[in-house]
This record gives sequence, C-alpha cells and structure tokens, in this order.
Amino acid sequence: MAGGRIGGLVFAAPHQPTTRDTLVVLFLRGGCDGLTLVAPTDDADYVAARGALRVENTGTNAGLLLSNPLANIDFRLHPKASALKELYDSQALAIVHACGLTNGTRSHFDAMDYMERGTPEDKNTSTGWLTRHLRAINPDAVLPAMAASASMPASLLGSVDAVATTSVPGFKLNGHYKYGPLQQDALRVMYNGNSILHRAGKSTLDTIAAVQAQNPANPYVPDVEYPTDSYVRGLVDSLKAIAQMIKLDLGLEIATVDFGGWDTHESQNGVISNMIDGLSRALGAFYNDLAAYHSRLTVVVMSEFGRRLKANRSDGTDHGHGNVALVLGGNVNGGRMYGTWPGLANEQLDNRVDLAVTTDYRTILSEILVRRLQNPKLGYVFPQIASYNPLGIVQGNDLPIDYSAGLYSTYLPHLQK
Amino acid sequence: MDISRRAFLGGSAAVLAGSVLDIDQPPLVEATGAAQHAQAHVLNSAPATMPTAEVIALNRIAYGPRPGDIERVQTMGLAAYVDEQLNPNDSDDADCLARIATATLHIQYAAGTDYPAVDEDRPLETLDQTLDVLWQRSKHGSFTERYRPVDEVRAATWLRAIYSKWQLREVLMEFWLNHFNVNTRADSRIAATWPLYVYGAIKPHCFGKFRDLLEAVAQSIAMQYYLDNATSRDGPANENYARELFELHTLGSDNYFNDLYDRWQDVPGAQEGSPAGYIDVDVYEAARAFTGWTIADGKYVGSGSYLPDTGEFMYYDGWHDNAQKRVLATEFLHNAPPLQDGHDVLDLVARHPGTARHICKKLCQRLVADQPAESLVQQAVAVWLANVDDAAQIQKTLRTIILSAEFSATWGKKVKRPFELQVAFLRAIGAEVTPNSSLFYRLGQTGYAMFDWPTPTGMPDIAAAWLSTNTIMQNWNTLYALYSSSFGAATFDLRAQIPATATTSRQIVDYWVSRMLGYSVDASTYEQLLSFMAQGEPVDQAPVGSDTDLTNRINNLVMLIAMTPDFQWR
Repeated sequence: MAGGRIGGLVFAAPHQPTTRDTLVVLFLRGGCDGLTLVAPTDDADYVAARGALRVENTGTNAGLLLSNPLANIDFRLHPKASALKELYDSQALAIVHACGLTNGTRSHFDAMDYMERGTPEDKNTSTGWLTRHLRAINPDAVLPAMAASASMPASLLGSVDAVATTSVPGFKLNGHYKYGPLQQDALRVMYNGNSILHRAGKSTLDTIAAVQAQNPANPYVPDVEYPTDSYVRGLVDSLKAIAQMIKLDLGLEIATVDFGGWDTHESQNGVISNMIDGLSRALGAFYNDLAAYHSRLTVVVMSEFGRRLKANRSDGTDHGHGNVALVLGGNVNGGRMYGTWPGLANEQLDNRVDLAVTTDYRTILSEILVRRLQNPKLGYVFPQIASYNPLGIVQGNDLPIDYSAGLYSTYLPHLQK
Repeated sequence: MDISRRAFLGGSAAVLAGSVLDIDQPPLVEATGAAQHAQAHVLNSAPATMPTAEVIALNRIAYGPRPGDIERVQTMGLAAYVDEQLNPNDSDDADCLARIATATLHIQYAAGTDYPAVDEDRPLETLDQTLDVLWQRSKHGSFTERYRPVDEVRAATWLRAIYSKWQLREVLMEFWLNHFNVNTRADSRIAATWPLYVYGAIKPHCFGKFRDLLEAVAQSIAMQYYLDNATSRDGPANENYARELFELHTLGSDNYFNDLYDRWQDVPGAQEGSPAGYIDVDVYEAARAFTGWTIADGKYVGSGSYLPDTGEFMYYDGWHDNAQKRVLATEFLHNAPPLQDGHDVLDLVARHPGTARHICKKLCQRLVADQPAESLVQQAVAVWLANVDDAAQIQKTLRTIILSAEFSATWGKKVKRPFELQVAFLRAIGAEVTPNSSLFYRLGQTGYAMFDWPTPTGMPDIAAAWLSTNTIMQNWNTLYALYSSSFGAATFDLRAQIPATATTSRQIVDYWVSRMLGYSVDASTYEQLLSFMAQGEPVDQAPVGSDTDLTNRINNLVMLIAMTPDFQWR
C-alpha cells in the first residue's frame, strides 16, 4: 500500500480506475501531409500534382498496401510506417481519411485554436474540448489528466485537473533538506487562493506530492524498447511519461502529447520520411508497452490540416485542408479505413486546391467520447454540434445524447483577443 | 481508505472547478458539499496592495528593481525615467559592457575529419563579427561551432537583462524577437549568423519606424531561412513567409477573413481600396510578390549557374513571378522593377490599421496586462497611425502606453515569464552572474525557449500559458539550483547584505520583502514568512540557530519570497 501525507490529509491506496478508457490525444503540429502518410497512390490527379513528392505503388520504395481501403483506391501507408501497418493488420488501428476541421482556415494557429477548443466557429473560447469533457465527467482521481509537454495544449485550456510534465520521476520539487519541506508548507498556505496563479501553485504542490508518494521508478523502465533516434526523442520522452503515469494507477483518463515539425514547405521528402518513421515506431512501442492496458486505452492521432495537393517549387507543400486521422486501441474496429473519399479532381477539391473535408473531426471524437469515455454530453464538449453520427470506429454502447450546451455559454467567459 | 481527488485535495478541487481564465475573476463554484467546505478557507487573491508607480514600472519596463532603483526613479520622476529609457546611450553602460567583454562560455567538442577537438573557456567573440566572418562559420564542420553564436547571444542577453542600464530596450528586444520569432535550431545558417539578426535587424529599429523593422526582418538571413522564402520561386511560390507576414507579423489573424477565401471584393472596404483584412488569396499573391527575395548562398539556379556565396540578401530575378498581382485590393502591374512587388506588399501591410491594432495590443499586453483596457489600446493605435512615417513611431507609441493612466493603475494582471522571474531574482539579490550552459538548460526546462521557440507565433504572453505545473515546478527548482555552488552561474552572500540594524526575525523579513518586492505582502503571506524566519521563537527577537543554520535559513527565506504569489506578478 502506498501511503503519504500531504497538506494535512492522510491518504492511502490509489483510487480504483474507472471503467472509462484512458484517452491519449497525439497532435501532429504543423499540418501533417495526410496525402503522404496515407496516400491514394493510383489516383491520377495525385500522381500528376505531386510528381516526386508522392508515395508510389510499385518499386523498391512502394508504400504499404492497406486492406479495406476507401473507394477501392490503392491506399498505402508511407513506406516508413511499417509499425503502423502492423497495428492496422492486427486490427488495433483504424484510419479515417478526408477528415478535419470544417472551418476553412489555412492558418496553423487558428486551425489549432478552433480544433482544440472544440468550437470551429470560435477560436477564442476560453476552455478546451478536453477541459469540458473533464468537467462533464467530474473525475474522482488524484491525477485525471496530464499534458506530456512543458506547457498545456489548447485542448486542456482552462483545466485545473491537468498537470504538465514530460518526466514522471522528474516531477518533484528540489530543496534544502530542512527548509525545503518548510517552504512547501508555507507555500501551501500562501497559494490557497482563487486567482489563476494561486490555483496553479496549489495544484502544483498537491499533484507533485501525490505522484512522489507513489515512488515512481527513476528512470522509467518500459516493457519494450522505444526508438532512440534524435528526431523522435521528444515524442518518445512524452509517450514514456504517459505510459509510466498510466502504470502508476493514479486514475489517468486524459493525456495529450505533441509531435511538431510537420510544416514541410520545403524539401518535404527527406523531412517527412523521418517524421513518419519516428511517429510509427514510437507509437508502436507505446502501444506494446501498455499491453496490459489495451482493453481501456484509446489513442487518437490528429493534425490541424492537411497540405496542398500540388507541390510548390521548393519541393514542399503549402497549407491545405482535409487530412487523415488515426484511431488506435484495444476496442477499435481496426484494419479498415473510414470516411468518404471525395476525390482529387479539380472540381472535387476544396476551393479547387485542397483535399476536401467529408468527415468533421468532431464526428470521430464524439464517437470516442460516447462509446469509450461514457460521456454523452456532446453539446457541452462541442457546443456547436448538431448530431451524433458514429462511423463505427470503436466498440461500446451509444448513450442518449445530451445536446444542450449547458453551462458552456454562461460560465465560460471569452478571452479578450 | 480510498483516495479520491476531492478528499485528497480538500477544498481546493471545488474552487478549481470553475474554469475561468481571467486572472482575478472569482470562479463560479457549483454548490456542492466540497464547495461549502472550500468557503471555510480564507482565500488569497490577486494582490490587494497596489505598488507605487515606480515599482510597477521597474517590474514591467525593466526586469525588476535592483537595490537603489526604486529610490532613483522616485527622485527623477517616472516621466523622466521613461524618457531616459527611450533614448538609450551605450556609452553610458560601462558595467554591463565590461561584463560582456570579459565573459566566457565553455565550448567543447570532439575532433572531426577537418577540425581538431576543442575544450576551452572562450570569450563572447561573435557578437560584433561581420557577415563574412559569420557566414564562414556557418560552413564549419562542427555543429557546436555553428551554433556557438546563439549561445554567445544568450549569455549577452542574460547579462544585459541583469546589468544593463537600458532596461526598456532589453524588454523591447525580447518583445520584437518574440514577435518576429525565429527558431535558431531550424538551420545552421540562422544559428551561425544569429548576432546579425539580434543586433543588426532588431536592435537598431526597436524604438524606430515599424516599416524599417519589417524590411530588416524580411531581408534577414534568419527569417529568409526560417520561413523558407530563400527557396521560394515562380510557380508555385512557397507561401510560408507571406502567410506569417499577414497573420503574425502585421495584420494578425483577427483580420483574417478566412471564409471569404478568394472573394476579395466581399472584404469590407475592399471596393473603396481599403479592405478591413486579408483573405487566403492575398497570402498566395503576396507569396508571388516575394519570389526572388533570397540569400546569396551559392545555390544552383539552373542552366549551369549559381548564386554568389556571401550570405547577403539578394534579389534573383530569374526566380521572380513577374505577372500582375492583387494584394489587399491593390493591383500590382506586371514586370515591376526588382524588389518592388515585395516592397509594395510591405508598404501595404505596414500602414494597415489592422497592423496598428494588432501590434499595439501586443505591446499593451507585454507592458501592462494580459487583457489591456480597450481605452489604452486605442490611445496607442492613434499614436502609431499618426506617426506611421515617423522615424520614432515605436518610441512615441511606447511613451503613450507607459505614461498612460492605465499603466500605473494596473498591477497583478500578468505574471512574470520564467526568464523575467529568474532575472528579477538575480537583480534583487545583487548576484554576480556568469551565464553558463546549465543556466540556459534550466531556463529551457521551464518552457521558456530563448531563441528556439519552435513555431513562428513566438512565446505566448498570457498568464495561463506560464502557470502549468511544469513551469511552476521548474521555476522553483531553478531558484534552488542558483544556490548550488556546482551550478556555477551565480554567486551571492545574502546574509552579509542584511544591514546591521536589521536583527530580529521581523526586521530581516521586512528588509528582504522591501528589497525584493517594494511593497507590503498580504497578512497571510507575511505571517508565513515571519514564522519561517523565527522557527518558533518570538518574531521580534533575533532568530535562534547555529551560524550555518541561520545562513541556510536566510538563504531559504529569500528563495521563499521569490516563490510567493507576490513575486510572480508583473
């Protein structure tokens, strides 16, 4: 039994985990080129527009052919994505194509704001969609949410349930052997306040104490080997921190992780090859590391937008629209592609330049919210959503959907922009 | 016993439940048993005590007061201090310049095929080197050598922030480097020539005319590579720079009409020649205008020819898209003279009222509050626009902001970012600082990425972004590290600095609170500081303990003051 004493409150064993899944949201920042990650290799428009910047369907560098594709097209994963191919073939991984944000912005930062706040018509909403999910389920755990990054993503904006850290054993306060603990006692009183600063300080003191009471291994010893290449070190560190936190059984329900560097305006082939290699192997290792948790683990991989169909003269691609998303987990109906393929002919493109969006990203997340996270309050998490249309990506029961925005409109003041 | 969040965190979890980002707006607490429990606690809030205008200014247009600063500004008056700061004079900064001149940074790397191993303490030698010297460095075989100028500028930036007399210029340098963010890790040529961006492009214009600053940035090696314009050429152009020029550098995304996409005539005001904002097609067209703006880096440009390899900005007509264009409802004729298309775009965006608002609001956000008063932003915008052709446009705008009624009436509407926190601490305690790689590493761990923030947005400037568990933890752990002799970045003797007249625990606490904060803390915090210092003995007697224990206690008291909520506010 792990015990400890914090802020005058004695506590004992960790809380029993809920029956809800732990949801890991992996955000590919910079606009991942979905037409390279999961490529329609035999589409004539794709071949014509991309030239050398494309995944091929023959030869030594051919992509990895996917079974159960959309529209009978020769869809292939990038040749470096063999770990993802294994997960797909083992039916743990599902792929959704031509999905994304219905708002037509081509700005990275606006697109991320819209998506992560969960309000595609309002980039200034003061809370993130995961923040509102956490509010809706009101988790009863010490550490229900973590951002495996130095700071909080917008999806957790305004959350006081979430902590940010990239290292579980490093999640501790250093101090003088005698005066350090006394400082922390004093700070607990000083930070017992209601400003955003006071709340953050208090939460820092309390969650660090709770994690340290579990004596996390230092360094973390994973059950499998993770890739060690420099270009994926940040992602691997973050995924390891999440894996270790899940295994501490402190009731983690939500984790976010960022993987940046996808803004391939120039020299795309070399850059994206490493990015996809890193993503694929790191995600594969993470999933295998958590083999004991598959029955209640769901991972979603998304990006703010896809990239322009036609390559530019810097051997890169500019900001586009529709994109691919991945869903991974023990209750995923994997091994097949989801969505509606809109085609790449000029008149089929969004604004005649980019892959169209035929599946709203909120459709994917709503299904996970309802079936895996047992949260039917879609109107609260996604205030502008009008319907629930699960694609059948994950298993689970559908619940009566609550479309009311609830307190969303009254107690969430907008930030002044 | 089962552990739950509510039982574990007690009252605070309920208080935490209302998700409100306004710094001092009380959260709405749902009526639960836990909430009632919470209300039984005394809750601290945004600072009740209002510091004097001098203390406010020294925390927001400087990196915190050093001993004697508050008295100096009181004596000369705030307006005179601001005017002094707006007219920096490097010949009057001997202490800081001497520290930079004598500073060294360790450099170490193994031998490569065409260079020997190095392991030495080396002066900051690249800060004022010329382009030809730095451009050669960009070809050095060792990454450590190519990256060295970034570390040297980092060291100088710490020293200037701590010791320079010209504090406002340092604050503005940080502002503009963040506004025109470049990640030095993006390209070795950016890193090797970094002093030219900081001291050549940004510094000369930081109080000047925005249009000049914009052009210096547009043509800099750093921005040319960071946002890929150096490889942008006719058919299709690379849109990276043009996109961020509109969205981040000038008009801002509040003036982005993304739903109009290509319907330029539907943008409000467009028919009259003054569109309220920009659309995607403006970005595409502006990208075409900047094709051919590049760096002479020896690249192959076809037909057996190469550009010169000097590192200078150049216009290469062979890559320019010379057809007609339309940007912000303005027609550009085909076959314009060299550079003119790009210059015309910069003129349009620099003069746009949306740019005035976007930048003035960011300045107010930096210097006053996360959510600055609309009245203040409007005053700044008026001055900005009235002086759009004035060589002192930015200086005049800053003067208006800093000497406004809103400036001195606002406190506790921002928190210090990690760099400000550590610098303010080192300034307050009179430390002897010798920047080193451990200091740089520690700062990076807080999330504050000096010169290597990955995205062109630059670092956020609102409290919510700097109050993650990680940032607070790393801030506090860095304070602790500064006390360690092995850390090596700072030395100080706090006990020796206490005046002989301060002998009781209360007097010692009062001395350090006054010196570090310049105003009284609330009763709850004060009580904690007193009992920390007195350790159970009467607070109006001298503290009791061994000599070593008292030294440790005073050290930790000062650290605790730097950890108080009060020391975090700006």
